[in-house]
Amino acid sequence: MIAFGCPITKPDVYAQCAESGLQRSAEPDSAIFAEPSGGTIFESYNQLMEKAARLDDLEALVLLHQDTELVDRDFCHKVREGLKDPDVGVLGCVGAIGVRSIAWWEGSVTLASFIHRYQEHGGGDIPAFSWAWADAPPYARIGEVDTLDGFLLAISPWVVRNIRFDESLGCLHGYDLDFCLQAREAGRKVMTADFRAIHHHSLELVSDPDGWMAAHIKVADKWEGRIKGIGSGAGTWKQRAQRAEAEADAAWLNHYRTQQLAEARVKDLERALGSATDSISWKITAPLRGISEVRRRTRPRLRHLVPGRE
Amino acid sequence: MIVFGVSATDGEAYRRYAHPGLELAKEPDSEVYVFAAVGQAARTYNLLIEAAARHDDLEALVLVHPHTQITDRALGAKIRRALSDPEVAVVGAAGATGVRTIAWWEGDMSRGAVTQAYHEYGGGKLPAFAWKPNNPPPQEVDAVDGMLMILSPWAVANIKFDEALALGHGYDVDYCFQARQAGRKVVTADIALDYHQSLELLRDHSLWVEAHIQVAEKWQGRIPGDAPANEEPSEEDWKRRARRAEAQREVARSIAYGSALTLDARVLVLERQLRWTEGTWSWRMTEPLRRLNQWRHGRNGAGAGP
Repeated sequence: MIAFGCPITKPDVYAQCAESGLQRSAEPDSAIFAEPSGGTIFESYNQLMEKAARLDDLEALVLLHQDTELVDRDFCHKVREGLKDPDVGVLGCVGAIGVRSIAWWEGSVTLASFIHRYQEHGGGDIPAFSWAWADAPPYARIGEVDTLDGFLLAISPWVVRNIRFDESLGCLHGYDLDFCLQAREAGRKVMTADFRAIHHHSLELVSDPDGWMAAHIKVADKWEGRIKGIGSGAGTWKQRAQRAEAEADAAWLNHYRTQQLAEARVKDLERALGSATDSISWKITAPLRGISEVRRRTRPRLRHLVPGRE
Repeated sequence: MIVFGVSATDGEAYRRYAHPGLELAKEPDSEVYVFAAVGQAARTYNLLIEAAARHDDLEALVLVHPHTQITDRALGAKIRRALSDPEVAVVGAAGATGVRTIAWWEGDMSRGAVTQAYHEYGGGKLPAFAWKPNNPPPQEVDAVDGMLMILSPWAVANIKFDEALALGHGYDVDYCFQARQAGRKVVTADIALDYHQSLELLRDHSLWVEAHIQVAEKWQGRIPGDAPANEEPSEEDWKRRARRAEAQREVARSIAYGSALTLDARVLVLERQLRWTEGTWSWRMTEPLRRLNQWRHGRNGAGAGP
């Protein structure tokens, strides 16, 4: 049996995202542990793992965020395929190699089969690079990675029974990297798999910078020297400090300039839009557009009167 | 006498921006030196300092970046007011306190009517450094921006730009640190100017990072105004600092990615709206009217000139 676990802090988000995906992707006999979050994400996931560990016929536990929507109808089949090799401990659809910190995306990302769906500014989708294989870049591939993105993890029964999320690391950040590192230290493989999901997420990528930085430091300190690459960097500590301070300032500068760029581009488009809609020709043709709008609205209502349509 | 100096790194920019500003701001007896850039800013600025130092009646040397257009007719009076305090060595239009690195804008900012003029997207102006709250000038600060630096006669006589900082960034912060190390003040004044700069992201990222490191190395443990610090921190201190800095770098990058995504989302909505407007039947139908209107405007415009 493939079990699913999802800690819930916002029931409406769960219903809209995770639940609708589970209806699509879970099997009739799947156990679904969708429960109010029991503390931090580390604690909540551990509670779900305890429950799953008690299932004798467990084939995998899929942990997903409440804002993660599975899209594959054959998701369970893909999980079974991925976990066929008994050495595989964890599967995901977004992963990277060359990872040095909880900012795993600063490593070399090998697979990102998801859509980032946002609500801001009228909403929209940002498909990641391997969402559609036909458009994927040459480096997109399924295989072993250093870590996975934690919004969707499929975990083998061995890992469910032997590894736990490290609750000492904080509340939210870095749990995925740390968990994958534990699995790898225990000799299990962390792999990407060919399943996909929609991550319903704000465009703001870090909402809690201080907590995120604290986790970054803790995870680096914990794993330095234990797993190759983690917490490492080029040069002496002094060189690393000076370089990172410079690069942080450069990143902030780019952030400020992006804001300025946004303001300029938005101003320009608003100007163009304003000059179009303030023009005499636009104003005198307003009644025509009004008629057109009424026709557009009524068309679907009338369509059901056409014989043969519901 | 107020002397103006320009290192003409970009002749076209000088002609379009700095020159009209100098014409507006200079006084009848002002001397204006425009030198061809020799290497990085520090070397040319030192040549300008030497030229200015030859004037016995020097009241101030105003170093103007070629992209800076002074828009303040009262510049002379403002300079004299700022330099009436003999302790003041450097005056700028924008600066900050709490400056630790060449990224002076990460401190608490103070600026006057400084705008950034850009030429992309039809052109426009934005308040410069508007991403942070601003303390209006005059303020004593740690450093000022190099787009406009006003040096007192004392500074001209006693402090040179550090030509060893050969990467072209941070010369302004370093000069101000030198002045403060010598016990003098650096201040902002309410000077109006347009800084003509592209909106593009940091162009020479690697160079800027290296310059940041170079200036940090020079001032390690002895930034003026700081509590006496260990100039040679231990390996453990550096490790702690590296861990923190690496975390800060990743968070800054992630926030920058987020703001780029937000920008795309905002723009997408407006582009969609504009496409829809221009795709409507009524818009296409009235195209001849707009052409006629444009032609009429063109004709009127052509007739209005000399």
